[in-house]
Amino acid sequence: MSLTNPPSSSGPVTAASSRPTAATVSQSLSLKKNLQVAVDEHIDSRKSSGTGYTSKVRVRDKYHIVGFISSGTYGRVYKALGKNGQKGEFAIKKFKPDKEGEIIQYTGLSQSAIREMALCSELNHANVVQLEEIILEDKCIFMVFEYTEHDLLQIIHHHTQPHRHVIPAPMVRSILFQLLNGLLYLHTNWVLHRDLKPANILVTSSGAIRIGDLGLARLFYKPLNSLFSGDKVVVTIWYRAPELLMGSRHYTPAVDLWAVGCIFAELLSLRPIFKGEEAKMDSKKTVPFQRNQMMKIIEIMGLPTKDTWPGIVSMPEYTQLQSLAMSRAPGHFVRTSNLEGWYQSCLKNGGYSTSSSAGTPGADGYDLLSRLLEYDPTKRITAQEALEHPYFKNGGPISANCFEGFEGKYPHRRVTQDDNDIRSGSLPGTKRSGLPDDSLMGRASKRLKE
Amino acid sequence: MAANYWASTQRRHWLFTKEILADIRESFRERDKAAHSQFPLPDQRLLNIYFSQQLIKLGKRMSTRQQALATAQVYIKRFYTKNEIRHTNPYLVVTTAFYLACKMEECPQHIRVVVAEARNFWPEFIAPDVSKLGECEFALISEMNSQLIVHHPYRTLSELQPELSLTSDEIALAWSVINDHYLTDLPLLYPPHVIAVMAIIVAVVFKPSQTSFHGTAAPLAGAMRDGGMNILAALGDKNGTGPPPRIQKLVGWLAESEVDIRAVIECTQELVSLYEIWENYSEKHCKELIGRMIKSKNLDK
Repeated sequence: MSLTNPPSSSGPVTAASSRPTAATVSQSLSLKKNLQVAVDEHIDSRKSSGTGYTSKVRVRDKYHIVGFISSGTYGRVYKALGKNGQKGEFAIKKFKPDKEGEIIQYTGLSQSAIREMALCSELNHANVVQLEEIILEDKCIFMVFEYTEHDLLQIIHHHTQPHRHVIPAPMVRSILFQLLNGLLYLHTNWVLHRDLKPANILVTSSGAIRIGDLGLARLFYKPLNSLFSGDKVVVTIWYRAPELLMGSRHYTPAVDLWAVGCIFAELLSLRPIFKGEEAKMDSKKTVPFQRNQMMKIIEIMGLPTKDTWPGIVSMPEYTQLQSLAMSRAPGHFVRTSNLEGWYQSCLKNGGYSTSSSAGTPGADGYDLLSRLLEYDPTKRITAQEALEHPYFKNGGPISANCFEGFEGKYPHRRVTQDDNDIRSGSLPGTKRSGLPDDSLMGRASKRLKE
Repeated sequence: MAANYWASTQRRHWLFTKEILADIRESFRERDKAAHSQFPLPDQRLLNIYFSQQLIKLGKRMSTRQQALATAQVYIKRFYTKNEIRHTNPYLVVTTAFYLACKMEECPQHIRVVVAEARNFWPEFIAPDVSKLGECEFALISEMNSQLIVHHPYRTLSELQPELSLTSDEIALAWSVINDHYLTDLPLLYPPHVIAVMAIIVAVVFKPSQTSFHGTAAPLAGAMRDGGMNILAALGDKNGTGPPPRIQKLVGWLAESEVDIRAVIECTQELVSLYEIWENYSEKHCKELIGRMIKSKNLDK
């Protein structure tokens, strides 16, 4: 659940305004329908029992909607309080239904909604977002989650305001440990997240990390079809692993570890480490080579070669990569990684050092980062190995509260009042007419329009 | 969770005892005696055979994998532990379970394709409008509390293959025994690994001939009946002359494992009785009874 604001929203997190999102193939589908027939059938369906559907539980009977948090292609997120003695704050994610004119229709749930509902119903871990319940009502799905006050995007942003001041090293270490711990749980349960990024890493007010937004997550145990055939594009561009950029048909949990590496770097530098520009899908829905993103990676990590990454020669985009290398003057791209240089200047600029109050992630931090940002997915560190890395082993205990010892205060999540009506909630731009079925363009093209 | 059956919603919420299942069904009857006497339906297993055949028809057209069909069958079973079948349009439930299972098993089909295919087979029972299916999807998910991940015995079977050095014939046979168990209440009664072990035993011990297995299951039923509980005897008598080494190996493994032998035997018996009742199956009869029920109760509307 992305509780921060995607580009379209009126929310406060300006850092989010230029952030890309992962595209998903599984968009729910609109259909052409005769309106009158639709109305008649809607009335008819109320009469029959059994397969006609009326919700037994109503959202507004159980929750008091406090305000609106954010919106995305999936729908909107609201902040709510429990009613009737049910204590606590909640974030209710409402999946918007497809609309045909003013009539909301049952058009079949998107694959993304199905995955998130099914996975969240099974998952139970301290570092994975906790689902309270799911209510199906009035052709909408309401997923009720625990409320989280912060997320990493908001925290990173806060550290750039009003001037840059680094996130203390112990806090970064606790965040990363909890994130990897949640990821290990997902991976041992054969769940790939496929959309890890700061906005999806939620943080409770007591400093617990919760991996959120499982809308792109899926099981990968003996898939019936290749993962690529299911979703052509996964992971938001800046966090997308090189094997995905190279067009790999089969990929592994290693894609999530690359994203963790990117998040680690971003926590330290307060900027996305590989901030490329996404090449858009063409009208034939072929997936383009993400040349610019690949270049951003190469600038820091060096040019991958078949010596450092043997599998690369069989990747679909290998020729694209070669032509990219050829397009520049010889020696423009170094073959060796400059990550260490990047890291040292990042520590220096941020003022991380043993003598500073922020502390430093030190040489162990660099070693872990370099293992997360390993080109070859087969050599990339796993969540299990990462948790046993000296970065965590050395340097004392790790707090389960990432804010422990931190003096500062983060602002509360902004909740606006402009739309409290969870039931109507018709937002501009919900109509997805004109988009092809199973569109790859999905979120990506929507972002473009915005 | 997903990899862990023991923490799964399947184990926590969708495992029944025979008695509870019987109580549920009895309470349906109690609540609507009129419908029950007016619309008698065949034995649950015969209905399951009918539903499964409809699913296979549907799946063939869209070359759907067996695992998705198995998931759909489990969804249908779960749904009918919450709803009296006589209040539903079973064709719509079957089609919706298929549509949802395909999404869950990551081999999705477009809703319009599913409706169009279903209308090929049952034009009088499936409306051309996809919103019916969409609405039924809500009902299905809601009744299942969004617990959509199903653990199947196929996975245990393939995991045990190397350990028990099963031949490809044995695997194929065990696989079809697993397919058949979806025609019974077993998926609601036992964990998938128990079913898998049962299927392996049936395949290795009884070894009915492959050719006669499909279609009519009578030979297997016979073999299993006649073979009786040899395996039980063997378990108790490891030093005796006993069965051939192949079976001894399996028996040895079983004794070492912590699989509930009694449960395995109960599953075997359940399967035997399925094969016996299968002989009374008439597709035409099921079709007529269901069709009459839907038409006179206007359940297709």
